[in-house]
Amino acid sequence: MASLLTSAPASATPIISLRGVKKAYHTPAGDFWALHGIDLEVYPGEFVGIIGKSGAGKTTLLNMISGIDALTEGEVLVNGVRVHDLDEDRLALWRGRTLGVITQNFLLMPTLTLLENVLLPMDFCGLWQGRKSAERAQELLRQVELEEHIHKLPAAISGGQQQRVAIARALANDPPILLADEPTGRLDSGTAEGILHIFERLVAAGKTIVMVTHDLSLERRFSRVVWMADGRLVANRQIALG
Amino acid sequence: MIRPRWRKVISDLVGNLGRSLLVVLSIAVGLFAIGILITNHRVIAEDMVTGYRAVNPANIMLVTTPFDDDLVERVKSVKGVRDALGVHRVSLRVQTRQGNWLPMDFNAIPDMNTQAINQVHLLEGVWPPDDKEVVVEQSKLSEIGAGMGDWITVELPSGKTRRLRIVGIVKDLTLGAAAGGGGFFLAAPQGYITPSTLPWLEQSEAWNTLYVTVEQGDDETAIRQVAQKVRREVEAQGVFIFSSAVRTSNNHPNRIYVDAVVGVLFVLGALVVFLSGFLITNTLNALLAQQMVQIGVMKLIGAQRWQVAGIYQVLILIYGVLALILALPLSARFSYVLLEYLANRINLQLQGFRIVPLAILVQVVLALAVPQGAALLPILHGVRVRIHEVISGIRPSEAVQTPHWIERLQKRFRALPRPLLISLRNTFRRTQRLILTLITLTLGGAIFIATFNTQAAIERYIRQLSRYFLADVNLTFEAPQRIQRVQNDLAQVPGVGHVEGWAYTRADLMGAGDEVLDTVQLIGVPIETTLVTPILREGRWLQSGDRNVLVVNERFRATLPNLRVGDTLHLRINGSEREWVVVGFLQLAGQNLGHLAYVPYPELSRQLGQSGRGLLFRVAADRSNLSLPEQEDLARQVDAFLKARGYHVTEARAGLSVLEKTAKGLDVLTNFLLILSGLAAIVGSIGLAGTMSLNVMERTREIGIMRAIGASDGTIRTLVIVEGVLIGLMSWVLASLAAFPISRLLSNVISQAIFNAPALFAYTPTGFLAWLGVVLVLSVIASLLPARTAVRLTIREVLAYE
Repeated sequence: MASLLTSAPASATPIISLRGVKKAYHTPAGDFWALHGIDLEVYPGEFVGIIGKSGAGKTTLLNMISGIDALTEGEVLVNGVRVHDLDEDRLALWRGRTLGVITQNFLLMPTLTLLENVLLPMDFCGLWQGRKSAERAQELLRQVELEEHIHKLPAAISGGQQQRVAIARALANDPPILLADEPTGRLDSGTAEGILHIFERLVAAGKTIVMVTHDLSLERRFSRVVWMADGRLVANRQIALG
Repeated sequence: MIRPRWRKVISDLVGNLGRSLLVVLSIAVGLFAIGILITNHRVIAEDMVTGYRAVNPANIMLVTTPFDDDLVERVKSVKGVRDALGVHRVSLRVQTRQGNWLPMDFNAIPDMNTQAINQVHLLEGVWPPDDKEVVVEQSKLSEIGAGMGDWITVELPSGKTRRLRIVGIVKDLTLGAAAGGGGFFLAAPQGYITPSTLPWLEQSEAWNTLYVTVEQGDDETAIRQVAQKVRREVEAQGVFIFSSAVRTSNNHPNRIYVDAVVGVLFVLGALVVFLSGFLITNTLNALLAQQMVQIGVMKLIGAQRWQVAGIYQVLILIYGVLALILALPLSARFSYVLLEYLANRINLQLQGFRIVPLAILVQVVLALAVPQGAALLPILHGVRVRIHEVISGIRPSEAVQTPHWIERLQKRFRALPRPLLISLRNTFRRTQRLILTLITLTLGGAIFIATFNTQAAIERYIRQLSRYFLADVNLTFEAPQRIQRVQNDLAQVPGVGHVEGWAYTRADLMGAGDEVLDTVQLIGVPIETTLVTPILREGRWLQSGDRNVLVVNERFRATLPNLRVGDTLHLRINGSEREWVVVGFLQLAGQNLGHLAYVPYPELSRQLGQSGRGLLFRVAADRSNLSLPEQEDLARQVDAFLKARGYHVTEARAGLSVLEKTAKGLDVLTNFLLILSGLAAIVGSIGLAGTMSLNVMERTREIGIMRAIGASDGTIRTLVIVEGVLIGLMSWVLASLAAFPISRLLSNVISQAIFNAPALFAYTPTGFLAWLGVVLVLSVIASLLPARTAVRLTIREVLAYE
């Protein structure tokens, strides 16, 4: 396996670090190993693409980073925190403040307006409250060009627009890291392009993004690409910018 | 600005109105039922005592030879006596609207304006009446078929008639208070007249009934002690006492019916609390199952478990409060509908509409605490949800396995239609959920069926009572008549078959010393009588060779709990005391009838000095199974014939009508149970509909997927309906089984209160079939409506559905 450190600036400290991460699922047919000892480091400001076929273990890897699934073996450090040492509530609060998670099926609250969807993480994590949180939510929705729709329910807007709301929600607590699991998987190419453009702007603004995709054509949009197959990293390549 | 998490609560409430309505209704219906049961329980128990005490009821009632005001004044000065009142009571025949003649009790009361004892409530018209007018008691008015302003015709001892105008209608809570007189339901219609009217009715103006209140009116022992002194005083003045009765000021004459009703309410109340608890648990389980993805998302974006739990606790709190707002006024209002029904039938005086704090407290606790308690486990389960599983939709930790027996069944019955096989599998996929649903539906159904069975048990008993009323015509004469002569005369009446003459008297049941415990009605029947086949609970019936023996009714057990077959009772008849041996216990129409015993005719008539004579005559027609109109017709013929022959007949009544009158108290209970079964049906039905609907709503996404892969709307409807009906049928089978112990419990509660004995049981198919109908119809409707909504959604909408 290629050394990941060679892909990173020598002086930088990784913002995400996975060491020997293994994950097994217990099934009636026996244990299924979704990850076979992953070592990976992601540095601040990187836009890392994890590419692989369906079943390669990409989403499981992302779940290890966000702590929403338990490790079988290994260690995950995110922003200096041993993620899997936190109890469930601390993990939730930490996740809300440190990570923005974007998924393929948007996962917006169907009964809340777009504005309320964006306000919800701020309400839970308590970093912004009252008028300030409302102003921030409106600003985030403006940045994803949805300021005209803020009082609509998710069902009243398109899939691409829902994904932009999900991005605005992921940014609500101004986390340093965004984790995106197939964020363009259910979108047409034009809409997907818009989403990637937003990600690029965010990276330019200093955010770190780890994005999972099976779309090989997106390889060149990332600053670094990690290839996965059968629960292992099979290649890790820095993309030459420009 | 409202915080977004509370906005979610509000939007969940209004965003899914159908679901919210179901949850609120499910909670409210339980609260409603509990509110009614507790309000009825408290108000009946309280108002019975308060209302009865308020009329200043007599504690001692003596029926005597005539006496005057001097005696009343003497009694007033007896130690322990608070007040005394002499009245003249006379039974005269009045003509009913149908032309029959019925006995009516006329009460001539002095100083009616200031009547201190046994006060009446004026419902309509005026009180007191003027001379030659009458005020009547409302509960028996229908028997004479007259109303306010009508004239009633009274037959005088001389055979002349007089007409009195009804100028007022009153409620007399003391009706039946002299237990020896036969209780409320057997009491004759009551009229109230001025003493000056008595001579006009060919009666003397002297008093013949003494009402006494005592200082310690709630203490039966104290009353009995005072009663002894009063008796001595009365007898010292040369006045003979025919019968006496004592009653505490808080012991309403129909107390046993109230006790039965209260017992039923208590049992049903406890069951409904359980039912509501399960209903609420089930409903909230379904609700939270629908919210799993949203809970996962909230945790994903930073919500801690207490924050998520808080959202659902507040949501459930609001459901509870809304249910409470709905249930409180409705249950209070409906309680009084039921109470007024009961009050009119068992002669209670309600003390006006009021809120019962206990009912509100229990409803508040149930509305606020039970949903929280019921939701606790689902909430804890929900907040522990694994985020990656709920957002991916792949939930190995929640994997549901079709039970093996279902798989085997499916293999064995491959020929069954595919939708039925799928529905079968779906039904049993979530066993825990199914069990909870089944418990809820079973309990609702079992209560419903049990109320029907309890009614059936009472009705069966009422039918059995006819064994005491085998005669087609029951005759009561003013004075004992020679049996042979009456038999010979009646043999000339067409249709008359067999005639028996019975002796009748009232006797004093003596306690220690010369203490009178109560009055006993003694009926002397020929040993070989064919017109009574008693329901014996213990011992035996009368047999040849018997002399001083008694077969006593259920009331004796209440007065003398240790009384056994073979024990001796001391009875005073016409002043002379004798020993009588109890040979059997029979069950009649309840303790309310007072003490009643059957004794051998020869012995009783001998002691009364009336050998060969009878006061009561029982006439059987020359053919069997006469209908009520036929019996009434025969009674009219017999009455007219005897009158023409110069007999003075007090009453000639159809046997079935006496049975009807005797069983009237039990009828009240039957009807009351019918109302309660309606209530159980409402609770059970809403529970059934709510549970089924939520089950289908939960599967909206599954329905979308099935449609996406080509299932037609018809197929989906079939699947959903079959599943609903399967659950409904299973619950029906379980409810039918559970109904048996509940029926026994309810029947026993009623039986103990009324008969002081374990119940007779009966099971009627009506309740089982009615509930089957309810289950089938509701299963289809409750499954179909949400399924209809689901198939109307576009596939895209459904697949995006939470």
